Amino acid sequence: MTARLALGLSRLMPLALLLAAWHAASSAGLLQRRVLPPFIDVMAALGGLIGSGEIVPHTLASLARAGTGFLVALVLGITLGLLMARIRVVERFVEPILLLVYPVPKPALIPLFMIWLGIGDFSKITVIALACLVPVVIASFNGARGVDEMLLWSARARGTSERALLWRVVLPAALPQIAAGVRTAIAVSIIVLVSSEFISSEAGLGYLIFSYGGVGADDAMLAVVIYLAMLGYLLDRLYVGLLRRFMAWHAFAH
Amino acid sequence: MPGPCLDLRAVAMRYGSGAGAVEALASIDLAIEENEFVTIVGPSGCGKSTLLYLVGGFLLPTSGSILLGGKPVTGPGPDRGIVFQRYSLFPWLSVRGNIAYGLDEKGTRRAERDRIVEELVRLVHLEGFEDRYPRELSGGMQQRVALAQTLACQPRILLMDEPFGALDAQTRRILQDELRRIWRRDTKTVLFVTHDVEEAVALGNRIVVMAARPGRVKEVFNRDFAVPEGGEFDANPAFTALKLRIWRSVKEEVEAARA
Amino acid sequence: MPSHTDRAVLLAALNRAVPVALILVVWEAVTRTGWVNPYVFPPVTEILLRWVGVLFDGTVYPPLWDTLWRSLAGLAAAIAVGVPLGLMMGRVRWAEWFFEPLFSFGFPMPKIALIPLYVHWFGLFHLSKVMLIFTDCLFPIVLFTYHGARGVSPIYLWSAQSRGTGRVRMLWRVVLPLSLASIYDGVQVAVVVAVLVAVVSEMVSGGGGLGQLMIRAYRYGDVNTAFAALLTISLLGFVLYKAAQWLRERLLFWHVGEA
Repeated sequence: MTARLALGLSRLMPLALLLAAWHAASSAGLLQRRVLPPFIDVMAALGGLIGSGEIVPHTLASLARAGTGFLVALVLGITLGLLMARIRVVERFVEPILLLVYPVPKPALIPLFMIWLGIGDFSKITVIALACLVPVVIASFNGARGVDEMLLWSARARGTSERALLWRVVLPAALPQIAAGVRTAIAVSIIVLVSSEFISSEAGLGYLIFSYGGVGADDAMLAVVIYLAMLGYLLDRLYVGLLRRFMAWHAFAH
Repeated sequence: MPGPCLDLRAVAMRYGSGAGAVEALASIDLAIEENEFVTIVGPSGCGKSTLLYLVGGFLLPTSGSILLGGKPVTGPGPDRGIVFQRYSLFPWLSVRGNIAYGLDEKGTRRAERDRIVEELVRLVHLEGFEDRYPRELSGGMQQRVALAQTLACQPRILLMDEPFGALDAQTRRILQDELRRIWRRDTKTVLFVTHDVEEAVALGNRIVVMAARPGRVKEVFNRDFAVPEGGEFDANPAFTALKLRIWRSVKEEVEAARA
Repeated sequence: MPSHTDRAVLLAALNRAVPVALILVVWEAVTRTGWVNPYVFPPVTEILLRWVGVLFDGTVYPPLWDTLWRSLAGLAAAIAVGVPLGLMMGRVRWAEWFFEPLFSFGFPMPKIALIPLYVHWFGLFHLSKVMLIFTDCLFPIVLFTYHGARGVSPIYLWSAQSRGTGRVRMLWRVVLPLSLASIYDGVQVAVVVAVLVAVVSEMVSGGGGLGQLMIRAYRYGDVNTAFAALLTISLLGFVLYKAAQWLRERLLFWHVGEA
């Protein structure tokens, strides 16, 4: 336990060193306020935002958008990927479409979706879902494709129907690869979320960054950026932790 | 009278410390004279490769000293060329590029470098393959290039770590013969590790048998007779007798290790 | 006379085109019937006409050039800085200790959130975009290079050392080629990221480029141009990705195994 703690602390050192350098540069007057506000000011702003609870509705708004889009993509993506892997027709049809969607930077679709679906949350959620769909479908497809045929034969021999085969055998076997794709999707959802909130919104963390930046409230802006970074890091760690717990039966190399 | 080319004095290698320490090598004393071809055989785990890596300078002994031409070994260097069993060639370089590698590191002039490369290509019978890449070559060819690459650096001592171990029996015989021929032409000091007793006798004029746990020198045999050109030694009674003696010695160790 | 495989490739390509063609036909049909507001969802033919139009009248070239060279400049800078850094991280202890946590922590953070900060520091035009692209591309390149460098078999390094390669030269003479496959994986990821970041930053902060062209078109209600811009963006991304793949085959022709 202490070994892990020591490792964790040692990994925090470089970051701590950088922050210390930031602080020192500001205090020494080397770093001008208008270029980069002092670290303590940024932390104070962050403290203020959290303490007053002001950041809460924005956090919830952002998480709700990203979360919904992500979950939709998760369910739809895994289903689609698995079906593509096992049913020829589905693969033939979906693959070229995927190939078309892949090179389009999804945030570029935001204005379009806003015209189609209004400027509210729905358009943002749809774009996020579409963006997350790509890594999830590809990972599910590859994972399902890679399933050992022997597993399927023995399941069939035991009387499993084709349908049940998909959920009972293919899905669990493809999980490691799907899990990797899902991890990418989490990162993608946050990127597309922030992009969409920059382009147009009245609430959310991206909105806060954009508006604070616009009025020159640099310390508040940086406070939210740091907050967002921590959030992103936490979500990723949470995901990896959850994975470790529920997938102990799969040999994992992360 | 100059001292031995390679002198190992009380060389020991220990991994870890305290109760869980593993003694890979326990006090090895070995002296190799100039132009000797010494082969090292032994069961797996006897530390023969470790010994080679120590001489090569890739590992440092926990105690004892290793002297090459009177000077202590402190790290790897071109005076100790090594041919490994696998990953012996740089895949992004052609045959020519691989052989020239050490010469480029030394800063050899272009004309001289090309001349040496040409000579070595001919020496290992790879004319026509100069511009091929390792992935296009068979295992046997790759090892020939590896040998040429090592020889290009004109090492004081040539170290070989089971270089033919990953090849099929036929290719192995052919390469052993090639090596013998090359050695006869440009005699060098060679330290050759193998687990194949026949190979050890066919190549070495001195054969060192090592024991395991801890790794140590068990016996040293001398090959006083010549091995005929072409490697037709199966019918040679002296050869078979020596081989049997050595095999028995090694077998003892293999069985002891199993016990 | 087309060979059997040529025909097979052609058939496969046609096969793939069918679902796409189907969708385009349905799209055209639906938009023509008047069910959908053509202002919101123009017919395919209109879009293509407008696209060809902007190609001919030249409106698209200045923004295309802006987006293109920004992406490439940012990517090039990221490679120039990221590859040496990743190599060092892979083989030098203190570099790994200092940089690995920084890049690990920074990875899940959306660098896009830094647009306002970069605009504040570098203005609205080229520099802020290039710096942002550089920052975003740095992460995959450093991480992939680092993993590649770490995975290099020590046998290659030992070989190089015994051929006279010093510690510093080792990095770019040996570790770099051996990590190239992994590095290139990172470059391929970075190419896609570069275009994405370029376009988004142009959409958000203007300053020329296809992203701005597209947003402006939407704001003025010129949906056809907006779609044409979107099409150009996608093609740009696609072409760059394919170019990267083509280049990979030329650079890594010598590579063996899992490329």
